[in-house]
Amino acid sequence: MRIAAIALNTFREAVRDRILYSILAFALLLIGASAVLASLSIGQEGRIVKDLGLASISLFGTFIAIFLGIGLVFKEIERRTIYAIIAKPIHRFQFLLGKYIGLVLTLLVTVGAMVLLVVVLAWAIDGHWTPGLLAAAALDFVALMIVTAAALLFSTFSTPTLSAIFALGTFLIGRLSGDLKIFADQFAGLGLRLIANGIYLVLPDLSRFQMGAQIVNGLPFDSAQIAGTLLYGLAYILMLLSLAIGIFQRRDFK
Amino acid sequence: MRGSLLHPARIAVIAILLCLALLFGAVIPLHRTGQIRGATSFEEGTWLFLPPAALRVASLGFRTVAADMAWLLTIQYIGSHFATDRKIPELFRMVDTVVALDPHFVEAYTLGALFMNYSGRNVSGAIALLERGAAANPTRWEPAHDLARTYYLDLKDYRKALHWFEVADKLPGRPHYVPRFIARLYAATGHQDTALDLWRAMRDSATSDWVREIAEREIAKLEAERHRPSAGGAR
Repeated sequence: MRIAAIALNTFREAVRDRILYSILAFALLLIGASAVLASLSIGQEGRIVKDLGLASISLFGTFIAIFLGIGLVFKEIERRTIYAIIAKPIHRFQFLLGKYIGLVLTLLVTVGAMVLLVVVLAWAIDGHWTPGLLAAAALDFVALMIVTAAALLFSTFSTPTLSAIFALGTFLIGRLSGDLKIFADQFAGLGLRLIANGIYLVLPDLSRFQMGAQIVNGLPFDSAQIAGTLLYGLAYILMLLSLAIGIFQRRDFK
Repeated sequence: MRGSLLHPARIAVIAILLCLALLFGAVIPLHRTGQIRGATSFEEGTWLFLPPAALRVASLGFRTVAADMAWLLTIQYIGSHFATDRKIPELFRMVDTVVALDPHFVEAYTLGALFMNYSGRNVSGAIALLERGAAANPTRWEPAHDLARTYYLDLKDYRKALHWFEVADKLPGRPHYVPRFIARLYAATGHQDTALDLWRAMRDSATSDWVREIAEREIAKLEAERHRPSAGGAR
């Protein structure tokens, strides 16, 4: 109940943030512009709208997750409201979980608006409904939840600027860590291969959550792979939140 | 804060001033320079096509989006030459970049090969591209079909055309005329008995009078040709 109250409050606070609307406006503009850009292709209008739409959701969703996530804890400390909160009969983990859920809720609403526009545009261009788009957006949302958890983790121990750099770094590394695995497999030496594979296992692999290629090329989905990816995402979020809670519990606010 | 340059009320004014400065200081002079120098050739912009391995990393995993952008540039490149000199030497490199970023972009193989073949007169390049497309997309009929068409129409290599039509025939969504081409190509490559069997099977399973009539005509022709072994040819 306490977590729900904090989550709702975080959501209310986030939807009042102007940066959210600026990013959302840019995202919707880009998704809308993809329809114009698509008209330059030869018969590939639907493909380009879906592709650019999913990429916009991923990219702008990440910006929202980072720019709102980095200030979650810092703002409370800066405004000194954290003292009033921790003085109340509420556990620190409840506070942090509430903040996380509130931000995820904000993301759900903004990503939902973007998905709606992509689905409507794709429908208007293709003349038929593409259910895979929703599956792709849902999987991408789990990747955004990982980035949000990373932003929250960094915000528990550093300034918003540093948190933004760390969270953006996590996103970039996460997008490219799939390539690291490919490079690792190409290394001749066993030692190097083990190190590269070890780094790959520690870093989040956000490329797993991308289904854009399957959607735009009409390729079949592997249900087992999707289920595995969802489990991986959940495990990674739990790990990041546990770390964030661990750090936040030890933090001295005196 | 009230006297600060970053006061919210002043930010909009500063942004408008910066936009105007950019417009009059850079955009308009550059536009005028462009008009004096004449239109910029598209080749000046093809530096955007980095090696595919570098683009894969630079696209941050948004490979299909990068492939789309590369495809749009390819279309512009083809269009800029199609109405003028019809020379498209960069086409193979450009399509190669597109399909390296997204190996499942079937239309890039087929349209790229089409322009390479008929505008660029590069049949071997078109075949190499389509073979790559067929290997990367074994469940799509289009690359196999276009390979068959290229071997059939441009190279008159009926054996290879037959092989690729047979590959396309096994794939879902292939055009209805593929079995008829296969039967004709069997006849053209000297397998009249197989061709006859195929036409008879088509006649017996035909759901339209039009196909049945074609099958009966071809059967009659093949049976007549049995007595004239020098005749033959695919149409």
